[in-house]
Amino acid sequence: MTLALRSVSKSFGGLRAVSDVTFEVPERSIFGLIGPNGAGKTTVFNLITGVYQFDGGTITLGGLSLAGLKPSEIARAGIARTFQNIRLFSQLTVLENLLVACELQKKAHLFSALLRTPSHFSDEAAMTKRALELLEVFSLGELADAPSTSLSYGNQRRLEIARAMMLSPKVLLLDEPAAGMNYGEAEGLKTQVRWLRDTFALTVVLVEHNMQVVMGVCEEIHVLDHGETIAQGTPDVIRNHPAVISAYLGEDDEASAGGGA
Amino acid sequence: MAARTWPRTLLIALLVAAVSVALDVGLSRILTDGSLRQLLMLTACNVLVAVSLNIINGMAGQFSIGHAGFVGVGAYTAAIVASQLHVKLGSQAPTLASSFIVVPIALLAAATVAGAFGFLLGLPSLRLKGDYLAIVTLGFAEIFRLLIATADVGAKDTLSQAWSNVRGPETFFHALGVSLTSLGGPQGYAGTADQGVPLYAGPFWILTIVTLMVALAWRIKFSGWGRALRALREDEIAAAAVGVDPTRYKVTSFVLAAVGAGVAGGLLAMMRDGTPTVQPDAFNFQTSFDAITMVILGGSGSVTGAVLGGIFVTLSIKAIEYGQGSSFIQDLRRHAEWLDLNALRMIVYSVLLIVLMILRPEGLLGEGELFQKKRAS
Repeated sequence: MTLALRSVSKSFGGLRAVSDVTFEVPERSIFGLIGPNGAGKTTVFNLITGVYQFDGGTITLGGLSLAGLKPSEIARAGIARTFQNIRLFSQLTVLENLLVACELQKKAHLFSALLRTPSHFSDEAAMTKRALELLEVFSLGELADAPSTSLSYGNQRRLEIARAMMLSPKVLLLDEPAAGMNYGEAEGLKTQVRWLRDTFALTVVLVEHNMQVVMGVCEEIHVLDHGETIAQGTPDVIRNHPAVISAYLGEDDEASAGGGA
Repeated sequence: MAARTWPRTLLIALLVAAVSVALDVGLSRILTDGSLRQLLMLTACNVLVAVSLNIINGMAGQFSIGHAGFVGVGAYTAAIVASQLHVKLGSQAPTLASSFIVVPIALLAAATVAGAFGFLLGLPSLRLKGDYLAIVTLGFAEIFRLLIATADVGAKDTLSQAWSNVRGPETFFHALGVSLTSLGGPQGYAGTADQGVPLYAGPFWILTIVTLMVALAWRIKFSGWGRALRALREDEIAAAAVGVDPTRYKVTSFVLAAVGAGVAGGLLAMMRDGTPTVQPDAFNFQTSFDAITMVILGGSGSVTGAVLGGIFVTLSIKAIEYGQGSSFIQDLRRHAEWLDLNALRMIVYSVLLIVLMILRPEGLLGEGELFQKKRAS
């Protein structure tokens, strides 16, 4: 399913955070959304996921309009995300963090839980089985019953992705997954993002400052500055695009290789 | 798994029912002191108050300081319904058999009305957080209490006359005023024609209903629904991003807590060996605050913690009242007039809470439970 934004705008009071942004994310692609600090990248994520309502334009997922939908409904429609500053359910265990994410997929609900009907148990068992499998995939299986706060930073990032995958999303939005990673870890992340896309048949949209990751993994890149589109294209096009270089990478051509934000 | 739990659940239910029937018949022989019987049942009701508040304050992480309002709504509703039914049944002295008609209907009414108020109060919780929500809940409880305590239209017409004369807004509000006045004002509601609220709820009803409600609260906590509620408490945005609708969960948690409190209020109003009047001042801020103390002492979010907190706070209130009445304290008071234990209770609790918050900020049990099952891996 294609995620498409057409002339999307959002203002906070007098500040136009996002203005007239249009892009289309092809199915099963890895798509980068970059721009200097305050360019409106995270705002675009928040508009797609319904945290904010957009003022103008349309956002569609495979033809379905996301206008006016609540965040929980958008999650149901197949868009999952992670957050710039990791947001886990800190008092819940690693396994419970995943189980919350399939609450919407069960048939049984509050009354079946109160009555403990057979469907309550079969739901719970099926969910737990799936969650444990997913934790294995993300090599967090050993930590299933640990409190989520006890995890290392890298494991918390992985847990957040695992939790998003529990929704069986069609599109996964990653908000600065490489934040706080060193060169080696960032290299690992590139492999993981490709692996995620191939394993789960996903479309991945990436907001990232780390140029090593963005240029290395994205097939298409969209560049924002002050809420406006300044360029779109393949990494090679973006790397040599004059507007991007002046707005973002600076005047120095060498910066494209090093990755300075 | 399901097949194994059903017979066990049934067995426990039968056991609880048998014990409570035995107590219903035999308690007055075991405990000849009426005030002790009253204390036992009061403790059970307060446990339910604490367990229901724990759903909002502990599991959902909202901060309600007006829980007494829901208890009061339930108490008045049940008292009115029970009184009406009592008259319809011929005003015979309550028996266990006749209580099977009166108590379920009265409690159902109490739960429905309290639940409706819970729904209304749950709506602002979508926009308000923390202190602001606390003020709304406090406002609700105080408005409810003061409306009843101060209602006096000075009218001579009866309820049915006033309602049959409704012709427009003015007469409607007059009739509303007459209705509120009929609840007895500060002296309290004492049933139809001031005959006293019929006390149908003996140990049988109080023990079975409270046990049932505590079991339901436990099931809520250890279900996917309770897990989603706790996730919402930890991080609303992240919970919404994985498909948990904050609106639905928050409002439902308010309704569930209000239903629990309403049932507790209904039981309190109809409690055998209790007072046959329902007084507005029984549902003041102090009552709400006691309920919060129960939840926090026991451990916010813990069902068994709320049970322990409910027992401890109720017993300590009674112990202090008992001490206050003792001749020793009365003698002392002749020399030191400031020695009012009821007033000092607040100081004792405050000190206790401060000490607990320093030594064990998460309360007695934290979010954990006694007898918690480990996940079979």
